[in-house]
Amino acid sequence: MNVWNGFNKGKWQTEIDVRDFIQTNYLPYDGDDSFLTGVTAKTKKVWDTCTELLAAENKKGGVLDVDTAVVSTVVSHKPGYINQENEVIFGLQTEAPLKRGLIVNGGLRMAEQACEEYGYKLDKEIENIYTNHVITHNQAVFGLYTPEMRRARSLGLLTGLPDAYGRGRIIGDYRRIALYGVNYLIEQKQKDKDEIFISPMLEETMRTRDEISQQIKALKDLIEMGRSYGFDISLPAKNAIEAVQWIYFGYLAAIKEQNGAAMSIGRTSTFLDIYITRDLAAGILTEVGAQEIIDQFVIKLRLARMLRTPEYNELFAGDPLWVTESIGGIGQDGRSLVTKNSYRMLHTLYNLGPAPEPNLTVLWSDRLPENFKKFAAKVSVKTSAIQYENDEVMRDVYGDDYGITCCVSAMKLGKMMQFFGARANLAKSLLLSINGGKDEKTDKQLAPVMPIPEGEYLDYEVVRKNYSEVLAWLAGLYVNTMNVIHYSHDRHAYEAGQMALHDSKIERLMAFGVAGLSVAIDSLSAIRYAKVKPIRNAAGVAVDFVIEGDFPKYGNNDERVDSLAKEITHEFITELRKHPAYRQAKHTLSVLTITSNVMYGKKTGSTPDGRKAGEPLAPGANPMHGRDTNGALAAMRSVANISYDDCRDGISYTFSIVPGALGKTETARINNLSALLDGYSKYRAHHININVFDRELLVAAMKEPEKYPQLTIRVSGYAVHFVKLSHAHQLEVISRTFYEAV
Amino acid sequence: MVIGYYHSKETFGTVDGEGIRYVLFLAGCGLGCAFCHNPDTWTKGEREITVEETLKDINQYRNFYDASGGGLTVSGGEPLLQPGFVAELFAACQKDGIHTTLDTAGFCKTEAILQVLPYTDHVLFSLKAIDQKLHRKLTLVDSNEVIIRNLFYIAERKPVTLRYVVIPKVTDDAESIKKLIELLHSIKSVQLKVDLLPYHILGVYKWNELGMVYKLEGIPAATPKDVKRVSDMLLAASIPLQYPK
Repeated sequence: MNVWNGFNKGKWQTEIDVRDFIQTNYLPYDGDDSFLTGVTAKTKKVWDTCTELLAAENKKGGVLDVDTAVVSTVVSHKPGYINQENEVIFGLQTEAPLKRGLIVNGGLRMAEQACEEYGYKLDKEIENIYTNHVITHNQAVFGLYTPEMRRARSLGLLTGLPDAYGRGRIIGDYRRIALYGVNYLIEQKQKDKDEIFISPMLEETMRTRDEISQQIKALKDLIEMGRSYGFDISLPAKNAIEAVQWIYFGYLAAIKEQNGAAMSIGRTSTFLDIYITRDLAAGILTEVGAQEIIDQFVIKLRLARMLRTPEYNELFAGDPLWVTESIGGIGQDGRSLVTKNSYRMLHTLYNLGPAPEPNLTVLWSDRLPENFKKFAAKVSVKTSAIQYENDEVMRDVYGDDYGITCCVSAMKLGKMMQFFGARANLAKSLLLSINGGKDEKTDKQLAPVMPIPEGEYLDYEVVRKNYSEVLAWLAGLYVNTMNVIHYSHDRHAYEAGQMALHDSKIERLMAFGVAGLSVAIDSLSAIRYAKVKPIRNAAGVAVDFVIEGDFPKYGNNDERVDSLAKEITHEFITELRKHPAYRQAKHTLSVLTITSNVMYGKKTGSTPDGRKAGEPLAPGANPMHGRDTNGALAAMRSVANISYDDCRDGISYTFSIVPGALGKTETARINNLSALLDGYSKYRAHHININVFDRELLVAAMKEPEKYPQLTIRVSGYAVHFVKLSHAHQLEVISRTFYEAV
Repeated sequence: MVIGYYHSKETFGTVDGEGIRYVLFLAGCGLGCAFCHNPDTWTKGEREITVEETLKDINQYRNFYDASGGGLTVSGGEPLLQPGFVAELFAACQKDGIHTTLDTAGFCKTEAILQVLPYTDHVLFSLKAIDQKLHRKLTLVDSNEVIIRNLFYIAERKPVTLRYVVIPKVTDDAESIKKLIELLHSIKSVQLKVDLLPYHILGVYKWNELGMVYKLEGIPAATPKDVKRVSDMLLAASIPLQYPK
């Protein structure tokens, strides 16, 4: 049998081109959700077992078990099962569900500490090998760092850098495995190596050849891993269940090999719909069976785990992996990319209950079918577990087969990779420009020396000019730091398995980020429109500020201050672009903090906007809590005002609302939410998280966490189980602006 | 150019009319309801806005309002105390394709209604009490005669959502509801639906802040059960509800 029988022909048959396969074969769906089916007995049994395990994991402080004796690789572990006779999609990271594997190439320290914190001891032999015989990424980076880089890092100006763990954010195009089989992918890689990368034999060519060799090895391992579960993935998938299995194996290999911060799955739903539709037509699959496959696929994604330190958790709270799945969007030919399988994927939130992973991301456009918009809005109101990103702004840049990695970061699937760069603290940078370049927490000289602004009150022109100097200096330092990190990561923790699922000629992005944008610009606004008196210590460092008078605040659609947000982000990306990035990567910028706004706040002194030392910064591109007084739409317009052209790595906004404030009836709530997203998209804003629930519910969940194991909330770019957050993070979430109706 | 005195604006209004709405809360009200959750809007204050400014601001959010079938709601305070401003604003909105909703308690001169009503698409009419004595107790106004007359006038001409606050044991007793039903039956309305608002106490702090004495101290917020009981009585009398179920 020809595995491609029944598919429409196209150039996807003669070269690797998943997009072309999708475009020539998918069936847009604009009907409603009435075809969806409930959970099957098999799935229920598997999920019940998982629910128990998840409860046990939570009770044990977040980690159920660790394999401390074996370093995790694609083929390190024997097959693992949850409840074998009821599983339809197979594969676990280790021999047992929720047992975490050890991934050390990012850094030994992370693995060691994580083991200790959770009461385990790292195997002596592993410690020996990775201390004395192998250079880890972490070791290499610290050998490369300059004193200035170390200072910026330890004082909290650059934080969350991927220098002690896997950088992640790379999405293997796992669909290639299903469509082509691994053998074909190996052949193509061999061909690239033999025909393209042969001259001049200088560093870049040799390195690429070396990497392709590693990729081929990884693909061979992938076949072996499949074989251990009894599947032959060297050949293309023959049907829907195999297509899901093949994709999942590709993903599983990635998370066995890499402890990446974000390990996203891509854009699989509509691709898979083509297989499901073919099987349904052939009578070899039923709708119930199709939902069962998707539910069980999602169960597997929900169990993906990494071994990380509590310290890491302080930055990215709630044990996230960002198994982001992008759903919907509009094709370049104007047809909607929504299929029945887009519904099935969202429907897992009903069949299995809400959960943060996979990180379900709807690519929104006001041109999506009305039925689908209403369905997504309904699921949001019910579960708060969806994030939305504006397909209308991303398609222009990334085409119609991009995926979101992590929270907000778009990439052409299989054609782009990314060097993840965490973020720089803009609020702290502003303090440097007020304090002659000294760190406000330690009085240490951090930025180059510059004159401390004179006079009783801060002069806007002087501070703004200093700020430009600081940003210019910071941009150079930041780019160089990133170059160091990714040079090291490529050498010591190369993602061979994931990169094997990319074109060999790859576009690289270097994703910079900023935190504390709203604090920085509100501070500038205060200095400009009110009178701000710094209280300086003996070293001349401002430890506090007295503000006289009122000033316009970001989040109220007020041009006077919103223009500063646009101006600063534009200035910063422009400065970044002045410094060449490693491997000719293109510079991008995000306004995103995830949960690190809490930690960044701790490391930032009092700011001229009235925020006190140590208090959290606002998450992502959000206005500071309580400062947006003209209602939610004004805040959204302020966010939309930041240019996506300047922030191609994403602009994150988190919106929390009590159900009653979304409308008086369920129908009204759904319609209003859908309209809200339409408007947001039309104003060319980029990303929005939607939380719909009462603050009281969160307070109750804080008191009695065991009663709310599945309570899922969206936090600046990803979803998380509320009960898994630390106390500080829980308080921060509760203190955020909730839009209420009185 | 007519100037409006306003208290605040809400760009994302979802509970004062259909769809997503821009809600402009005008300042100034003479009714003095004991259960008012916005006593800070009673005085006229000093915040001024022109029709042009308002329209410009609304248009900043048009995509949201248009996508949801929403528009502008002018609330208060009592908007009909500034009929010139409201009429001009509504006329400008209608000309620009923006749906207009008036949120009033109806305590005003009939001329004010004549002025505003031609440019009004939908009226939210908040009726405090039918019984004179109760009305006297709940407001600072002796008689609701003018209010009732205005209600009849409006309801005969425009779609009206009659809003009635369910205050446990104050406005929700059988006698009060019976009177409400009788009144509603006697109106020859274009389209009249009832929206029962559960009494809540989230505005009490504002009274304290303003140094005013809250007369309904001790009366609990209405529960869903309280509201259900009243809505059942209305439905039994064939009175249509704005939000059935």
